[in-house]
Amino acid sequence: MKKLTYFPGCSAHGTSEEFDKTVKMVMTSLDVQMEEIPDWNCCGATSAHTMSESLAYALPLRNLVLAEKLDNSTMAIPCASCYQRLKVTKVHMDDNPELCKEINSTVVEDGIYQGKVDVKSMLQYCFEDVGLDAIKAKVTKSLAGMKLACYYGCLLTRPKAITNFDSPEYPMSMDKIVEALGAKATEFDYKTECCGASFSISNTEVVINLTGQILEMAKESGADAIVVACPLCQSNLDMRQPDIEKHLGKKIDLPIFYFTQLMALAFGMPEKDLMFSKHIVPVEGALANIGKIVPEPEKVKKTRKAVEAESEAE
Amino acid sequence: MARVGVFVCFCGANIADYVDVPQVVEEAKRIREVKFAIDYKYMCSDPGQQQIRDAIAQHRLTSIVVAACSPRMHEKTFRKALSDAGMNPYLLEVANIREHSSWVHQKDKKAATEKASDLVRMAVAKSIANEQLHEISVPVTKRALVIGGGIAGIQAALDIADARIPVVLVEKSPSIGGKMAQLDETFPTLDCAQCILTPKMVDVASHPYIELIPYSEVLELQGFVGNYKVKIKKKASYVNFKTCTGCGACWQKCPVKVDNEYNMGIDKRKAIYTPFPQAVPNKPVIDAEHCTMLTKGKCGICAKVCEKGSIDYQMQDEIIEREIGAVVVATGYDMWDPKPYEEYGVGRFKDIITSLEFERMVSANGPTNGLPLRPSDGKVPKNVVFIKCVGSRDEAKGISYCSKICCMYTTKHTILLHHKVHDSHAYVFYMDIRAAGKGYEEFVEKAQVDTGTTYLRGRVSKIYKKGDKLMVRGEDAQIGQVVEVEADLVVLATAVSAPKDNPDLARLLGISYDKYGYLSEAHPKLRPVETAKAGIFLAGCTQAPKDIPETVSQASACAAKVCGLFAGDTMKKDPMISTVNTEYCSGCQNCVKVCPYGAIVTDEVPFGHGSKELRTVAKINEGVCQGCGSCVAICRSTAINLAGFTDPQIINEIVSI
Repeated sequence: MKKLTYFPGCSAHGTSEEFDKTVKMVMTSLDVQMEEIPDWNCCGATSAHTMSESLAYALPLRNLVLAEKLDNSTMAIPCASCYQRLKVTKVHMDDNPELCKEINSTVVEDGIYQGKVDVKSMLQYCFEDVGLDAIKAKVTKSLAGMKLACYYGCLLTRPKAITNFDSPEYPMSMDKIVEALGAKATEFDYKTECCGASFSISNTEVVINLTGQILEMAKESGADAIVVACPLCQSNLDMRQPDIEKHLGKKIDLPIFYFTQLMALAFGMPEKDLMFSKHIVPVEGALANIGKIVPEPEKVKKTRKAVEAESEAE
Repeated sequence: MARVGVFVCFCGANIADYVDVPQVVEEAKRIREVKFAIDYKYMCSDPGQQQIRDAIAQHRLTSIVVAACSPRMHEKTFRKALSDAGMNPYLLEVANIREHSSWVHQKDKKAATEKASDLVRMAVAKSIANEQLHEISVPVTKRALVIGGGIAGIQAALDIADARIPVVLVEKSPSIGGKMAQLDETFPTLDCAQCILTPKMVDVASHPYIELIPYSEVLELQGFVGNYKVKIKKKASYVNFKTCTGCGACWQKCPVKVDNEYNMGIDKRKAIYTPFPQAVPNKPVIDAEHCTMLTKGKCGICAKVCEKGSIDYQMQDEIIEREIGAVVVATGYDMWDPKPYEEYGVGRFKDIITSLEFERMVSANGPTNGLPLRPSDGKVPKNVVFIKCVGSRDEAKGISYCSKICCMYTTKHTILLHHKVHDSHAYVFYMDIRAAGKGYEEFVEKAQVDTGTTYLRGRVSKIYKKGDKLMVRGEDAQIGQVVEVEADLVVLATAVSAPKDNPDLARLLGISYDKYGYLSEAHPKLRPVETAKAGIFLAGCTQAPKDIPETVSQASACAAKVCGLFAGDTMKKDPMISTVNTEYCSGCQNCVKVCPYGAIVTDEVPFGHGSKELRTVAKINEGVCQGCGSCVAICRSTAINLAGFTDPQIINEIVSI
């Protein structure tokens, strides 16, 4: 039995309830006991760090201090923004004791920061601490037949110096997880492009444009669904999809799954518990592909002479 | 009674702005032994030196103190002034009031002046105890070692050998020729690299004064300028070069295929191979890592087909030694690996290649018969994007320096592309176009007009795949917009980097290297081909990135330096070396252990006058001693003294302040 400190973040109790729920289901199944940080507070994203540096550190620092009372070595966070704020704060506090002392003085009644809890995203935790073998061992219903574009967004692996996890440009951890579940990950070059994030509300056009490109590229990669590990990515890709389709004048029809929803599905958990009904883009079409395996077209190897003749003919 | 002359230099404003020079002169005049003191704007100039010469005669001076810049800069100049005036040059003492005072205490003129006066006082005190010393003559081995057989090493070897000085040329690969042998045409005149290089390669092989040792590396260098001893490892080639005729039967029949380094792995070579058809020497070697006979004991076909019986699977590495007097290091460069550019999809997209790979493809003797082809499907590309500064001028991902040649070779590549694929279109993403060199700017201008290449000023931020095309997204800073170019092939102008073995080689030779791994010259402007170690010179890219004309010039400069060094039968050497007072020496031999040059041996002397019993004492080989002083410091019975830095001299200095 592994123990893990859990920081759900505000979206887990709202827009990404299905992420929160499936994380809990999957972790229980993987024999990980999660303990939610008691009395956790907002991470501050994105208002705090655009307004005040000290507030931007103080809010996550209180959570880090509270987390240390739980006596687990690692904390995992499902939301990419929360993860980013807490990890940045941890790295800066660890590197700068002077600053840490100053910020800590504002939340001193909650405790003194010691830096003993590692901060990871839920994706990183599943990939590094749980591991592909343990995930594979739990699969009872292979997702073979599904073609998935894994979308990481901009925060989970960046900046490299802070996250120290996977590639900042072309990460593969989520791809490897979905392949462990039996699905096929497509070659998707837009996996770390910006989705427009919180501009969804203040300047929707930006998101329509950026997210539109991501959806188009995912479609082009041959995927029949997109997998994400971030609530805001999910909401932009899913909720804005009808508007984007209108804007592009064509059908995209790509359901947006949390990777934990697919893990739960592959672990044989009942579909009705996975809250697919919360999705805007219907998932049925993509799920219907499970089990349908199309054989890859056989590659014909041409001789160099044939190729040369061909290009000369052109 | 000592009569010391003190000469204080302004060094223009370098010293005078931060040190009160007349005040330093006044202070000097108060020292009892100082009979003459004066300041001057530039002491190192001829009128400045004349003042020294005149004062020596007029004031019957017995030693001279010059307060100026570092002795590394002008000690020799002033020593010569002394000898011109008939004075022993080692009666000079330099007080370094520039590097040690004015430059480092620019904010406090009073303190800087006081420190300068102290330095002068110390130098005066020391100069009083200075003794007349005389240069030492050591014999010279008139043979040069050249390490590396690229164009730099070839040129240096030929120039030295043409002066009838024997040269040992060591090359690590099976053939000389280096990177230049991989090039198709050369900027800015577009003459074929092979055509201008291979005659020189043949000259090397046939030159009576050049001993070419291919497929070998330097293991050890001992000794000192004029008298080095080098150990060379000759790697086993498993082919007897004396009997081999280079007929080629062996590599035609060899069944093992290996990535061909000469063609950047685009095609295959055999396990027994010559790197390329024009190789010198044109004899094959067996790649022991891949030959199945050597790894598994199975095959033996090459031995069967060789009519001369030249294959010898039992051959071992051989260590050979040569005595030499000077070394030219010409180890060239490596192409930088663009792997850190993950946003370009390097390693994921087959149709992204490096400039040297492109060079091999368009080369007449290349793996694709001179036609650039997409590695993914073998088709001829129409739209080709060239990206400059991949690794260069990029502190975040690569190296901060400019690689100097990429602007020019990329221009050349646009021309070659245009020549080979007439209906192609080239796009170049660039930061700047650096075309400083004879005929370079004209070359770039002409190429832009002739080829119709689209130059886009800006960095590429991402490359992604769309169908079978590569989409190159970058900034066009001149219109301030993001642009996307659809490419069939992307060519990365990767940076020039230092050979990865350079730090090891530098340690072995006892010379220094910089943070990138380039070998360091003695002075960036005035001694660009010498190293800090006497008798070791640098040619070509091993010192910094440079083009062929500059490399060849530097190689010839090295040759001139070597010839100068070997001009006489003996070499003059500074007399600042250690001597042993055998009466004090207890024979503990601690000095033998600490001497970094192996200059101290042991000797036997009688116990007393007329005694037949012998005792062991230390003995200095004055040819080898470099005057570092390590033995003086370790000697517990003060039996060793270093000429020019004797105990009385040092004590005088200390007492004076």
